[in-house]
Amino acid sequence: MNEEKKNETNAETVFADWMKSVTDFWKDMAKPEGGIAEMFGMSSSRKSRTVRQAQKNLETGSKIFQSLFSSVSNPEHMETLFKGADTLPDFLSSLTRQTWDGIFDLQRKWMERLATIGQETKAYSFEDIDQETFRTLREIYEKEFRKFLHIPSLGLNRFQQERVNNLIDRYTLFQTALSELLYMFYVPLEKTAAVMQEEIEQMAEKGELFADFKDYYNMWIKVLEGHYMTLLKSPEYTQVMDNAIEANLQYVKAREEVMYDLLQKLPVPTNRDMDDLYKDFYLLKKKVRELARKVERDEQQKSGETL
Amino acid sequence: MSQSQIAVDLILRKITEQTEKAKSRVQKASEVLLSALNTDIATTPFEYVYEEDRVRLKHYRPSKKEHKVPLLLIYALINRETMLDLQPDRSVVQTFLNHGMEVYKIDWGYPTKKDQYVSIDDHVNWYIDNIVDFIRERHNLPKINIMGICMGGAFSVMYSALHPEKVKNLVTTVTPTNFDTDKGLLHIWMRNSRAFQLGDTYRNMPGDLMNLGFLLLNPARLILDKYVGFFENMDDKDFVENFVRMEKWIFDSPDVPAATFHQFITDCYQKNLLIQSKLELNGKRVDLKNITMPVLNIYGQFDHLVPPEACNLLTKHVGSRDTEDICLKTGHIGIYVSSKCQALFAPKVAKWLKEREGDEPKAEPADTKTDAKTAQSKGVSARKSAAPAGITASSAAAAPPAGGLAAKTGETGRGKAVSAKSRRSGTKKKTAAERSTDAGKKKSTGKKASVRKS
Repeated sequence: MNEEKKNETNAETVFADWMKSVTDFWKDMAKPEGGIAEMFGMSSSRKSRTVRQAQKNLETGSKIFQSLFSSVSNPEHMETLFKGADTLPDFLSSLTRQTWDGIFDLQRKWMERLATIGQETKAYSFEDIDQETFRTLREIYEKEFRKFLHIPSLGLNRFQQERVNNLIDRYTLFQTALSELLYMFYVPLEKTAAVMQEEIEQMAEKGELFADFKDYYNMWIKVLEGHYMTLLKSPEYTQVMDNAIEANLQYVKAREEVMYDLLQKLPVPTNRDMDDLYKDFYLLKKKVRELARKVERDEQQKSGETL
Repeated sequence: MSQSQIAVDLILRKITEQTEKAKSRVQKASEVLLSALNTDIATTPFEYVYEEDRVRLKHYRPSKKEHKVPLLLIYALINRETMLDLQPDRSVVQTFLNHGMEVYKIDWGYPTKKDQYVSIDDHVNWYIDNIVDFIRERHNLPKINIMGICMGGAFSVMYSALHPEKVKNLVTTVTPTNFDTDKGLLHIWMRNSRAFQLGDTYRNMPGDLMNLGFLLLNPARLILDKYVGFFENMDDKDFVENFVRMEKWIFDSPDVPAATFHQFITDCYQKNLLIQSKLELNGKRVDLKNITMPVLNIYGQFDHLVPPEACNLLTKHVGSRDTEDICLKTGHIGIYVSSKCQALFAPKVAKWLKEREGDEPKAEPADTKTDAKTAQSKGVSARKSAAPAGITASSAAAAPPAGGLAAKTGETGRGKAVSAKSRRSGTKKKTAAERSTDAGKKKSTGKKASVRKS
């Protein structure tokens, strides 16, 4: 405890010394006689009004700076400042704790899932698909990680920062949704393997095993096709597919927003610029077509009347 | 548990045999794959005769013309129209040409982001309408035959309902018009997902993404079994050539304009407006009762994309009395490419059109939208009474101006305008059909091209 106190005092001393040298420097720079003007070889008599004004502004700024830093270098305030700095490890520790909690939770649920392996898998039924793993993964992300990406951004680049955070967020959600969709396509393979095992066992018992491997393949592909057909028609699959589509849409939109920020700084048109241009072009073209048709109809009518 | 009786010796012998076979196959396959393969598709000679934006019109001439009225093929925006001419011995276009039909085929091209706002209305009431007018004028005919394929069939139905005065006969093939069915996976997915937003977000619906969706309709067969089949036959040169041709066609997928995709999914798949005559294009209602021309509706019994239930209601909802439904025992693509259907499908269409060729009505009002019965009787009476006019039209059609040549000499626009003037000067008062033809001609702001396919 004493050691900590000692370190803290040392830091305060170093900071106070540094602050003093900084304020002294700016005090010298802002002196009415000499200072910046003399640095550039200008005598005080030849100072123009502009230079005097600039000097005055600098002096004011310097005083504000001095008072601000003097205030900060005040031992009491310094203590507060360093106390604030002491909270950083707490923050990091809290973040780490929450992250590990989430990971442990996920691990626990995976272990539970592992324990269910070997239980009977029902052929041609997809109501019992284990989507819990993905749901858990998504929930952990949403509860434990996502909030860090939603910490309010500050300052000049806050919007850009928000968009980058949003991109990371959407990318993660899309990856989760895609994993779930891909898992769906794996399930029929698992179920087909189970069915094949049963069938072959029965055939072996009857002594009716195929001699040609092509026959096994044909049987396997037929069963697999049946499983896929059942899966793809199921509301569970449609829901997962829709989630993946939606996640993809959101990710692409977030990516475009970030790209827009990047491209805006370059001398190239962005997608948004081009969309506007294409739309204008399309509407103009359509308008011209309509008008051309109208003129043609009028001309036809006129020529009809003449004839 | 009873003891299993496994003929291990038999299995081992089979394994040996198959290993030998596989070895020999791979050796032969390497020879085949390294040799010069003929995998070109769409080899039937044609010329581009019309062009507007990304859309072009292919013209195929028969060696001997036996049909007076040309046929316009309207393909879907999904995949390419080259499927109708996939290989010489399995070409719908070639079969039509062999039957003496003059064929035009719309090539929708490859939409870019520039086309993202192009709607169904633009496709139907602009591109198709201009092309129909161009052909009518070229052949001096008030009406032409139209055959639509899949989504192109739906466009043909919309067009025929909105412009019945320009369509002589309508043939729809694997055309979805009733979307309220759970028979096809596409119907289930499109109704229960936000897939329609994909086009909006990507600006156009990416062709590759759609292809992925089609593969997922039957992953076991389309992603696995198909290539196992290829492996088993890759020592057969003909098989490899045909397989590669099909692969070329399948994965040649243009994007679909976002606005068109969005409307097709929401208005057709989700709200099922087309069959109910409630669909609106640019404020105009697509009333199927306006389809008063003869309708031939062909679909596949085993079509997993557009099941029979999605196709077979059309003829019950149109205004025409002359309708026919044919359900072939095949799938979505099999109708056009299977050797069995080659002998059934295209010859049937040619025969059906020939039977309804008759004589051309000359004086049918261009802008009239008559009810079914009136239009029907008009058509019949015109066919019976206007033989000379029909012959005139036919003779005009026998030697259509070579668009390519005209374009080359730079006289396309002027030449058309001159011929229009000369027709006008020879008549005191133009018929409505002629007026309509003139309008079509003036309206055709598209360019004629002279790209000759070697």
